[in-house]
Order: sequence, then structure tokens, then C-alpha cells
Amino acid sequence: MKIIVGMADMQVSKEPEAMLISFALGSCIGVALYDPLVRVGGLLHFMLPDSQIDQQKSQKNPWMFADTGIPLFFREAYKLGAEKKRIWVKVVGGSQVLDDSSYFNIGKRNYLALRKIFWTNNVLIHAEDIGGSVNRTIRLEIGSGRVWVRTSGDGEREL
Amino acid sequence: MNLVDCILNSAIQLPPFPAVIQRVLQLVEDPKSSAQEMVDVIQYDQSITANVLRVCNSAHFGLRRPVHSLREAVALIGFDQLVEVILQNNSAQLFSRACPGYDLNDGELWRHSVSCALLSQIISIRLNQAPSPTRFTAALLHDIGKVILSGFVREHFEEIRKLVRDGGCSFSEAEKEVLGIDHAELGGKISERWQFPKAIVFAVRYHHTPLLSPEDHEMVNLIYLCDLVTLMMGIGGGADGLSYHAHKEVLNQNQLSRRDIEQFISQLDEGFKKVEATINLE
Repeated sequence: MKIIVGMADMQVSKEPEAMLISFALGSCIGVALYDPLVRVGGLLHFMLPDSQIDQQKSQKNPWMFADTGIPLFFREAYKLGAEKKRIWVKVVGGSQVLDDSSYFNIGKRNYLALRKIFWTNNVLIHAEDIGGSVNRTIRLEIGSGRVWVRTSGDGEREL
Repeated sequence: MNLVDCILNSAIQLPPFPAVIQRVLQLVEDPKSSAQEMVDVIQYDQSITANVLRVCNSAHFGLRRPVHSLREAVALIGFDQLVEVILQNNSAQLFSRACPGYDLNDGELWRHSVSCALLSQIISIRLNQAPSPTRFTAALLHDIGKVILSGFVREHFEEIRKLVRDGGCSFSEAEKEVLGIDHAELGGKISERWQFPKAIVFAVRYHHTPLLSPEDHEMVNLIYLCDLVTLMMGIGGGADGLSYHAHKEVLNQNQLSRRDIEQFISQLDEGFKKVEATINLE
């Protein structure tokens, strides 16, 4: 059962047959979390680092921003029985256009915002495929907890 | 025949863009034109008329009463939206095919095109330019070169990728190096052949190199930003990914900041849901 996670969206599941997938991560970041004991997993696709730029939007759709989306995402997983001490995360995306000026470095700032939130909350990143100028697709198999990343124009590999 | 001639020859195989649309674009830019003239131009094209009525009567449009004629449609939705409906219907087929050279599946380039067109309205408003059908058209058609170049990119993909990965080239620079022409230059030639207004031709031609455009900077900069932001969001992004140059000069010239870029992204999100609805309609 394939469940698509769109832009600025999130899904959690404990269905062993479910596969969560998020396409076309450019500067956006896909965060996969998984509790291997209860086999609960989730996938978040956030687009921007900071909800300060549009608070109205963040109330309507918290998944758009790292600061509003990530904490809520974990809470959704807890509701299904996941526990923080067992959860691991894998992150994918955060690409950049070719830019020396840092005007357009949203990918990098997305990643820094995520790192800061994880640092403050003692969450370790288990594996990552971040940066560069590529598009990526991430998928998480709920039954096994395996995470796959596909780079456009290239193959798919397990993360 | 050398490779560039081969590519240009393939571009000639593209069907001509309906002449009705060129005429409609001229009319909307002409302040003296009337609704009646617009109706006169369109009504003889049955397939366009049928499409306009079908779209206007769809749930997506949410009009309170059914529209039975072109004249009613123009009165209810206005010129600009009418042009958008016509353009989208006529470009969908062309852009919906997969572009394997860019690793784009069916519909992905179309999604990118429509998102850019929507973004052109969002950014126009921020730049205090009235959204216009000409800008919408340029944004919608800017990647037409990819439709043709895809097959050639596929054949030479490894060479192009090597230049991007190891040579520090943008994807379009690598196309130019390997194939002798890039998708923007090719797109410029196609839109010229389709007899689009000069500003559209320049916007297509220079959508990755806005600083090189000899004129129409307002339009060229706008389409450049629309494309770059849409690529950053990964919408219809393929094997070329985000491998294009950012030009901060374009932001400076328009007094735009990083914050503005983030706001464009946040505003497009809602529009993108509209894009999905429109695409499903087709």
C-alpha cells in the first residue's frame, strides 16, 4: 500500500504493508522516523526553515515549516505508540541552486533549522543524504523500517 | 547533418501553435480591444470554444450558474482568465509527455510549467506589475525547448552529467557544451517560429541567463525567478535538478530579499493544490 506524502505534508503509519513515499525533494527536506520495536513510522516533507515569515500559513499548515512541523510530527508518531528513546531519523533533501551569494540557500537553511531542533531535543540523525543540486525521492517501508533514496537521473539506494 | 541541425530539424516537427492564441494575446495587450472582438476571434475554433465552456462549467471554477456561450464566459471570468484557460488547454498535450532525458515522467514538465505560470502571478503582484496574460504565457512555455531536447539529452546524458558533476557547469551550460545548443536557446527559437511577441521569445531564451538578455528585462527577470523558485521546490524537477545559476543581481534589481523568496514558496503551496486540481481536470 503506497501512501504519498505531498509537499508540506506528513503521514504516520503502523500498517506493516504501508510504504510512505515523498517525491521531488529539491531544497525541501524529507524526514523519516521509525520506532523499530512497535514498527511505527512516519514521513514529513517540509519546505521552509522558519514559520516567522508566514504565521497564518503555519497555523493552517504546520507541516510547511521545520519549526512547527517537526515537533508535531513526532507527537503524531507518539500517538501510534512510538517512543522517543527508540526512534531513529533519516533525512533527505536540502539541495541548492548554484549560488555563491547565499541568497537562494533555502536547502542549507532548512537543514540547519532541522539540526538545531534535533540538537535541542536530543534526537540523533541515523543517516542522511543532504545537499548538492539534485532532486531526491524518499520512501519508508513501515514493515521493515527500510529507507530508500532515489536521485533523479540516477538509481535508488538504501539509506 | 551536424547535431545542432538535427536538433533544430526536430523542433520543426512540432505542431504550430494555434494562430487563434497569437491573435488573442495581441488583443488582451491592446487596451482598445473589446470583449466582442475576443469572442469573434475564438468562436470559429470549435475545439477551443468547447474547452472553454467545459472548463468554465467544471466544479473547479465554482461559477454559480452554467455558462452556455463564449460571450457569457468572457463576461463571467474576464479576459485574463479566459486566456489562461485557452492556453492551458492547448499546451497541456505538448508538455504532458514524459521527457526521459530529464528523467521526467508523464505530466511532470506540465506540473512545472503550470506552477511557474501561477508563480508569475504571485511574483508580479509583489513587484507591483499587473499580472498579464503575456507573462502567464511566457511562464507556461519557458521550458518548451526541453520537450525537443529531451531525446538528445538522453543520448548524451553521461557526458552532460560529467560536466555538471565534475566541471562545475550548470545543466544548460553542459547541454550547450555537449549538444551545441541548450534548452533555453532552443525554446527561444521555437517561440520565435511560433511568432510569439518578442518579450515572450526573450523570456524563454534567457530564462537561465537573465543578465544576458538585450531587452525586456522586467519580463525576463520575472520568468527567471519563477523557474528558479519552482525548481528549488522540486516541482517537476528532474535529472537537471537545481543545477542552475542563481543571480543575486536579479533580486537586487527588484529590491527582493531572501525573505521574499521564502514567501513566494509559502504562497505557491496553496496555488499548487489548485494546479493539481487543474491538471486532474485535463
